[in-house]
Amino acid sequence: MLTLGGESLTFRNVRDEPPFVIRLSDNPSLPRPLRPESAFLFREAQANATELPDGFRLYVQIGGRVEGAEERTQDRPSIVLSTAYNYLGDGDVLRIVPHRRGLRVLFRRSANHNSILLTEQCNNYCLMCSQPPKRIDDSWIINQVLQAIPLIDSAAKEITFTGGEPTLLGDDLIRVLSACKSWLPRTAIHVLSNGRRYADPAFADAYAQVQHPDLMVGIPVYSDLSSIHDYVVQADGAFDETIRGILNLKVRHQRVEVRVVIHKQTYERLPQLAEFLVRNLLFVDHVALMGLEITGFTRPNLADLWIDPFDYQKELESAVHKLASYKMNVSIYNHQLCVLDSRLWPYARKSISDWKNEYLPECLSCTKRSDCGGFFSSARLRYSDHIAPFSARALQPEVMLLGASP
Amino acid sequence: MATKFERREHFEASLGNGYRLLPFSFSPLNDRDYILTNQAGQYTLLDRPTLEDLVRHRLEPRSDAYATLKSQHFLLDSDSNVAVDLLALKVRTKNSQFTNFTGLHIFVPTLRCEHSCPYCQVSRQSDDKTAFDMSFETANRSLGMVFRSPSPAIKIEFQGGEPMLNFELIRHIVVCAERINQIEHRNLQFVIATNLALVNDDVLSYCKAHDILISTSLDGPKDLHNRNRPRPGGDSYERTVAGIAKARDILGRDRVSALMTTTEASLGRVVEIIDEYVRLNFDRIFLRPLSPYGFAIKTKSYQAYDADDWLDFYFCGLKYILQLNRDGLYFVEHYASIILSRMLTPFESGFVDLRNPAGIGIGALVYNYDGEVYASDEGRMLAEMHDKTFRLGNVHENTWEEIMTSSALLDPLEQSFAGSVPMCFECAYQPYCGAEPVFHYATQGDFVGHKPSSAFCHRNMAITRHLIELLRTDEDANRILMSWLRI
Amino acid sequence: MAKEEADAPRADCDLRFSSAVYSLDTIKKAAYRLSGHCSFDFEVVGGEILCRLHFAQALSSERMAAIKNGFRNEVLDQDLRRTIAEETGPMRNAILAYAFSRTGLQDGDEV
Repeated sequence: MLTLGGESLTFRNVRDEPPFVIRLSDNPSLPRPLRPESAFLFREAQANATELPDGFRLYVQIGGRVEGAEERTQDRPSIVLSTAYNYLGDGDVLRIVPHRRGLRVLFRRSANHNSILLTEQCNNYCLMCSQPPKRIDDSWIINQVLQAIPLIDSAAKEITFTGGEPTLLGDDLIRVLSACKSWLPRTAIHVLSNGRRYADPAFADAYAQVQHPDLMVGIPVYSDLSSIHDYVVQADGAFDETIRGILNLKVRHQRVEVRVVIHKQTYERLPQLAEFLVRNLLFVDHVALMGLEITGFTRPNLADLWIDPFDYQKELESAVHKLASYKMNVSIYNHQLCVLDSRLWPYARKSISDWKNEYLPECLSCTKRSDCGGFFSSARLRYSDHIAPFSARALQPEVMLLGASP
Repeated sequence: MATKFERREHFEASLGNGYRLLPFSFSPLNDRDYILTNQAGQYTLLDRPTLEDLVRHRLEPRSDAYATLKSQHFLLDSDSNVAVDLLALKVRTKNSQFTNFTGLHIFVPTLRCEHSCPYCQVSRQSDDKTAFDMSFETANRSLGMVFRSPSPAIKIEFQGGEPMLNFELIRHIVVCAERINQIEHRNLQFVIATNLALVNDDVLSYCKAHDILISTSLDGPKDLHNRNRPRPGGDSYERTVAGIAKARDILGRDRVSALMTTTEASLGRVVEIIDEYVRLNFDRIFLRPLSPYGFAIKTKSYQAYDADDWLDFYFCGLKYILQLNRDGLYFVEHYASIILSRMLTPFESGFVDLRNPAGIGIGALVYNYDGEVYASDEGRMLAEMHDKTFRLGNVHENTWEEIMTSSALLDPLEQSFAGSVPMCFECAYQPYCGAEPVFHYATQGDFVGHKPSSAFCHRNMAITRHLIELLRTDEDANRILMSWLRI
Repeated sequence: MAKEEADAPRADCDLRFSSAVYSLDTIKKAAYRLSGHCSFDFEVVGGEILCRLHFAQALSSERMAAIKNGFRNEVLDQDLRRTIAEETGPMRNAILAYAFSRTGLQDGDEV
């Protein structure tokens, strides 16, 4: 699991100014006009070879002794980070918080997924929330994000905006999406939302009017029954608003993905949910069936949520088969191949963000490891009893049929 | 659970407040169970005691039946009412095809034909081209009517007689239609229904160049086909098979389809007929009933078997086809796929014979060789038997408006509308069935028909019930039938 | 009636329904569904609706009993349908209005 930020880090000569956003460059020949807005990234080993280039706003050293850093950077504003930050690279965007000597990584150019939190406030309170809501004023986040967007590499393939509930930001969310359309026209944007605000036609209109070229909103629907959905998200009336939100989006030709987290409260009616989707929401663009992440609220609610994924394969296969029969786009996220019914392998995606993606010791010898998405880092707290590596034999039945001796 | 979370009971509290019924119809499925259908055409199955509990508001709110009925929009409670929005959307989607209006336009280039099939309604064994061929002028006027229809997809189908005997006219119509379409920008498609006995490379090349589909008749193995479809030389089968191969070579396998017609001779031989289709590499068959029109009535071919004999034929064929699928061959029974798509999806096929309101005129129009316009191909056949009930006008005498607002069209449409006729209006199978004014007129004497004694009603109910039973009792069959859905 | 007479094949039979329980409309609709098997005469006598079924051929007593049961069940079903129609009529119309309105799905309309 990667460390994506911290506080009380080693800061030297950094003025006590308000938090700011900055992009890393490892290019010592970066044109001078760009240097005042950029941070120079170097590793201790490098620094011995040449003198540091002048004119950068900030110098970020990875690894090495603090004393050595002093000599190199002299009185330039600098941060010394441990090798836990070795993943940082050219083009990454950071938020620097001088008064806490803190930094947070907002965007990593080399990451397979980039997720940007827009707010921690939410009007649901899901039993398995991986980002528990906080009732604080975090309106500063939007400004930082708006500053970061122009710094993000325009070749970035995809960015996900999450929360909390991004649509609570109203017009600010629209501003962020418009900024993405301007600065990152070739970047696919994925917004994760409970969908409820879109039940307001005026908001759905504002969202649609952005006319973003590649935008999709991922909206959870946890059951075909309102009482179960409302229970899972802990909000009365959420189901109706969410469905109305989805309808409002689709009538405005916006792309919608339905997401379902599978756990003890949702697995039993998965086939009925699939039936509900194909009869009522056949026009949604994607259905994502997801494994439970053992983080946030999942941990205190584990007894009511945990079920070994191996034990719901019947329901999962039935649901996927129904969705696929109707030619809906279906993906299974966060499930290991050894735990899935083999008929579901074509739908399994390697979806876990690299910074929290791990494999268990059992996986070392598995011949399917490169195809398998692995685990959340948090999975070490609880995972299936049926994790087992595939051996070469299991993958080559034809060889056995031809009479090769086992 | 952490105390700041509400328990499940909190969210189920409103279940104690009772429920309202959403609109639905019900009919018996078998001796024990009933089928319920809602306005969107979704179905669910209940036994009679549960149905009664449901209607009398005695249903237990935590039961599986309650959950199913709520999820599938048969009841509503205080917990949620988005069902109403969803039902309205589904009803709208289901009916949206009607706004497209007439999509199928059947042209009869000639009545001449060298076959003399006993079940045929119209053909003439004649070389008299002036008497039985469509003129260019009639074709032009008919094309004018075609594009008056607002349908975004226009299918021009050539029937006859044997259309290839007047290929010159087909060429003319194709060229003119394509020219008009450069402005109209419809999805334009051509089909020629031909016995393929007289087809040659030039004709097929032309079809390829203009992406014309071929639909031919294949009634079964050689002896059956030739017996059903006599021609001079008695070699209809050989020519058909050779024609199919040639047509596929030039046009592509998927551009050639086949239709069978059932006669008394076909009964008892359904497996052989299907095998013939399999042998010839078709991936579907349409097991059709015999239509009661034309020569069929004259030669008593229709009375030769009743609805139940045909149903035995059909069910035997369906069973065999399911087995073929189990054995690894994807093969579809077309009529079942149409009904299944009705039952399980919001999509409509182009099939005009199972629509409500009826597909006459507003789904399909027929432009006969002499300029007469008919509400359906069956209406044309009746006219050949001197009954012009379904004649809407003539392209040389009437405008599009006159034809489409004639009482010859509007009366049967209105009177046969299933939502307003006895039995149909409250029948649970109505969403999967159609109004059939021409059939009922031909067999019973009026557009509405007496459904309790209607072969059409009996047949459709039997097939729909059979499919429902298969879907629920046989998991393999369920998956196979689902794979036939037209999505 | 003596048992031998009761079991003899018959071409007619009678059924009675209380007009306090069932409307004539309900009985007639049920009868229509069976009219492929037989024809009907109706008479309202006192508090009862009297139905006479006429068959083209005499039926065995078993077959006759089956048809009578079928008719009774059909009457029960028709009665149920009447209840459903009364309760759901306004909703049926509201959904159709929603479905075909130009402005699409409206908010706030109570049904």
